[in-house]
Parts: sequence; C-alpha cells; structure tokens
Amino acid sequence: MTTVTDPPGRPRARDAGRAVEPTRTGIADARDGVRIAFDVYGTGATTIVLLPSAPIIHARQWKGQIRYLSRHHRVVAYDGRGNGRSDRPVDPAAYADEWFTSDIATVMDATQTDRAVLVGLCSDAVWRAVLLAVAEPQRVDGIVAFAVGVPLLTPPNPWRVEWSFEDELPTDEGWAKLNRHYWRRDYPGFAQFWFEQTASEPHSTKLIEDCVTWALDGSAEAMLSDADAPSSLDLAAVEATCRTVACPMLLVHGTKDHCQPLSRAKRLSELTGAPLVVVEGADHMIPGRHPVLANLLIRDFVRSLQEGVS
Amino acid sequence: MTIEPASRAAVDEAVRADAPPAPREQQRARYPDRTGFVERGGVRTFYEVYGDGEPTVLLMPTWSIIHSRHWKLQIPYLARYWRVLTFDGRGNGRSDRPTDPEAYREEEFAADALAVMDATATERAVLVSLSRGAERSLLLAADHPERVEKMAFIAPALPVPPAVPRSRASQEFREPHDTYDGWGKFNRHYWVEHYEDFLEFFFSQCLTEPHSTKPHEDTVGWGHETDGPTLVATQLAPRLHDEAGVRALLSRIDCPILVIHGSDDHVRPWESGARLAKLANGALAVLEGSGHLPHARDPVKVNLLLRDFIGMGRTS
Repeated sequence: MTTVTDPPGRPRARDAGRAVEPTRTGIADARDGVRIAFDVYGTGATTIVLLPSAPIIHARQWKGQIRYLSRHHRVVAYDGRGNGRSDRPVDPAAYADEWFTSDIATVMDATQTDRAVLVGLCSDAVWRAVLLAVAEPQRVDGIVAFAVGVPLLTPPNPWRVEWSFEDELPTDEGWAKLNRHYWRRDYPGFAQFWFEQTASEPHSTKLIEDCVTWALDGSAEAMLSDADAPSSLDLAAVEATCRTVACPMLLVHGTKDHCQPLSRAKRLSELTGAPLVVVEGADHMIPGRHPVLANLLIRDFVRSLQEGVS
Repeated sequence: MTIEPASRAAVDEAVRADAPPAPREQQRARYPDRTGFVERGGVRTFYEVYGDGEPTVLLMPTWSIIHSRHWKLQIPYLARYWRVLTFDGRGNGRSDRPTDPEAYREEEFAADALAVMDATATERAVLVSLSRGAERSLLLAADHPERVEKMAFIAPALPVPPAVPRSRASQEFREPHDTYDGWGKFNRHYWVEHYEDFLEFFFSQCLTEPHSTKPHEDTVGWGHETDGPTLVATQLAPRLHDEAGVRALLSRIDCPILVIHGSDDHVRPWESGARLAKLANGALAVLEGSGHLPHARDPVKVNLLLRDFIGMGRTS
C-alpha cells in the first residue's frame, strides 16, 4: 500500500542530505597558490555566482537558494579562502580585498563562465563584487547585494565599536567578544554569540545552528589573518568606486540588521542609483532567514536582465 | 504573495457574523473559498471550504486545546488537488464553547462532522485526523460507512497499548494536589489556575524536535483562544477506555486506513499507532525522530504521505 518505513531505532542525521547535488565539483587555483573549491548546479543561459561570506562561513550559506535558482539557471557556489573545502592560508596578505575579488574571476575561469550575475551577503561578498564589477565590467552582468556591507560608507553600528578589537579586555560579555584575544580563547563562543546577534529574529534556531556549524568548519586562525589583512581604504576612494559601477544592482537590507547599518545600503543606492528593498524587521542573514523572499528577488532581478529591463 | 480579496472578505464576513474573534489570525497561504456555520443543539460550529476536485478531504478537529488552524500547512497543499473541508471543534476557534461536558462527547464531534458534510453537500470524504481526532473519525466511519472513503490517522490517541506517559496523572485528573510537576499538570485544578503554564508544558511535550519555536508559539497561541474551564469540560466527557471498544468500531469499518506516527512521540507512543494499523489492517508510516505533531513540524513528509494515500487508486 502506502510507504512503510523502517522501524525506528536507527540513527538518522537530520538534514544530512542536500536538496540538489552539484552537476560538477572542482578546485580552482588562485595565482597565489590558494585552492578554491567550487560546485556547479543546473544549466541555463545565465550563470549566477553565489559569493561566500568568507572566512566566517562557506558556500552552504546558500543552501536555501541553490535548489530554487538551479531550476532555471546555472549556479556556481564556492567556499571562500579560509573555510570549507578551500585552503586556509595563514598569511594575512592572502586575505586582502584583491584576493577575494580575483577569486571570483578565478572560479569563473575554472567553470568556463565568461559573465555572471553575482549574489552576495555583507562586506565579505558585496564589496568584492563591486570591486570586480569595476575592474572587469565585461564579466559582471549584475549584482544582488544582501545586507549591503560596503566599508566606510557610513559609521558602523555603535555596538560593533564599543570595545577594542586589539586590546585585552576586562570582560568577555556581549560585544566584548568581538576581540582578537577572545577569538583565540573561545572561537566557538564568538561564533555562537555572533550568529545569535545577527540572526535575532524569532524562530531562527536552525539558521543559528547551521551558521555556527559552518563557522566551526573554519578557524580562529583564518579569521584573525582575515582581520589583519592589509587595507588602505578611505571614504573618498570607496565612494568613487561605487559611483563607477555600471552594471545593474539590486540592494536588499533589513531594518534590524545588527551587522551592517541600513544607512550603508541607502548610501550605496544613492551612489549607484540601484533600487533598495528594505525588509521590515529583518536582521542580517536575509537569504537564510527569508529564503523565499530572497529567491524571488534574485529571480526577478535575473529576469529583468534577460528581458533588458532595469 | 497575492491574496484574493474575495477570499479575505469571506473570512471577514465570518468574523462579523457574531462569532468569537480570532485574535491571532495570521496571514494565510490560502484563504477559504467559502465559510459557514452549522448548529446542533444550540452549539454553532464554524467550517471552511477550500478548492474543488474529487474527493473531498475532511481535516477533522483534534482536542479543542487547538483549532483548525493547526492544519495550516496541509490546507494549501492538499487544496491544489482536492476539495478540502475543515472545522473548528466545539470549544475553540470560531465555534461555540459549551460548558457541559456532555457537549464534548466524541459522538457530538462526529455528528458535527456529519452536519458540516451535509451543509457543504459532501457525499463522501477522506477523513484525516490528528491525535484525539481519531475516535470521532472512527465513530463517523462506523456509523456512516457510505460517507467515508478512506481514513488517515496522525499520531492517533486511542486506548490501545502501550499506555501513555500521563496515564497515572489522567487517573488523578480530578484530584487536587500540593504540587504539579511534569504530567502531573494534566489536572483539572491546574488547568483552571495555571492554564498558560499547562499550555507551555503540553506543547513542549508535543514538539520535541529541535527548531520547533514557531509551531510552539502557534499552538500555545491557539490554546489561548479557549480557556482552562472549557478544556476541563472536554476532558470530563466520556471516551473509549479500552482496545475492545476500538476493535468494535473497526469491525464495522473496511475502508483503506493509513497511520502516520512519529518515533519520538512523547504524548502517544508510536507503538500504539502501529497497533492501530495492525488492528485495522492498514498501512503504517513511522517518521523517524518526529514528535506528536509531525504535520506541523515535518509538513512536506506528511503532505506527501497524504497525497499518495488520497490519490491511491484514483486516476488523475
């Protein structure tokens, strides 16, 4: 008759399976020798590259998007340097913006992707997508930017700079966990705190558990090297870069984002002319917490590019 | 998401129609195409109709600690294929809340189901029930076999072995105690004095899977739409007390039966669902790791099981 399952008693790993398996998986070699692990899903005239928020988490952050988007498009996802199946260099120089930006092109090359729509979350991905769109405009058809994290555009959320990152602190409580020494002492404690703070909406326990798991696939060492990466940004240069973006963009930001202030998304919208979708009540992890909304926004954006509407 | 204005109006209409309000009504994935009331012995019962297509699927009321919104993850899916009927069991939702325990006899719920079928011109239906909805479904099928095409039971609550974890507390349901811990909270005095805490406790036992905060919030919210004294009345109504009673009903039923039960059900052990499937010569699907409300916590699995069961033997 109907399905009869095995009797209970055997252990089952919940959510161990994936909604869709990659059609191709491989390794791309960056020019500095760092190996980047990628997966390709589905087929279609348009390729969507899902950028990693590395090194804190890896490509599984897009698990709520891959199945849906790969029904209609070719989807490339990869683990950023420092986490997942990619290499974890210890030299801070390996975590410079330039490397994260060129890694996008490196993965596109390895997957025979001439041009793509880039989708990213927060500064780890959005800022590098902007940099690639400016450096190689012929390769970037468009950008969907969630939780817009272009550095310096507006002041950071005050709690993020309440404590010194560098100094030994008298406490480990709250945002004092955003601290070099605490990361060394208790990186799992930081990961738990960070995702509880940035996935603060009700009913986010699964998302938090997933994100902490992915964070612990990485390491405090990679996070510290990333924090120590060389950077010489100033506001004028950042604004000039943003003004130079020529491709269509869609910006999506929550009103309760505990990582990146909404003002950065508004400012980027002013500088680029890109439309901004403000999600009432949403925190930082919009694709994870609001997958249907995120997926439909990506779908409509890609469709508008294909139809020549923007 | 688009919401049909006409459908929303139907709900508003029902709310205006002198029914108890639905204080926590959330946005719905799908709104009913038709709503209405049936009245029996002065007790009004609120029903909803969704979609069309044969057969009609009647989502039965469970214990009146919650109401028909607990089917919210089944209705929009099943209504893609079939006509779906559901109603708020007396004692909660937009139905009346009689105070006499006699009004909550299983026979009354079965008669309400029949009245809703009559009011909606439903000749036959597939019955889907949860937990305490089992006995009233069996009654309906035994007394009116021509009206019931198939039956699916989710986590059925019937007096078949093994005993439930709360059996001792149930025996002492009427006695006041000095303290109420664990299943000791299954007590009429506690329900009247600490209804909110009972709801929190009971649904924590129903939803044992991780990441259940949303169905927990929903079920507790629906629980607050009724009250302790009403719940006491539902519990004082007589019900079947042994397997012989279940067997007697089953002997008058020969439609296809499916039992769905979670292996980690802390309210009704899965073995009792397996026992029902065996007695009924029905099919059994055990959902590994699921608790007492698998349709709320693992809706896709349950919906697909229901789809296959309802569609089985039909050409479409």
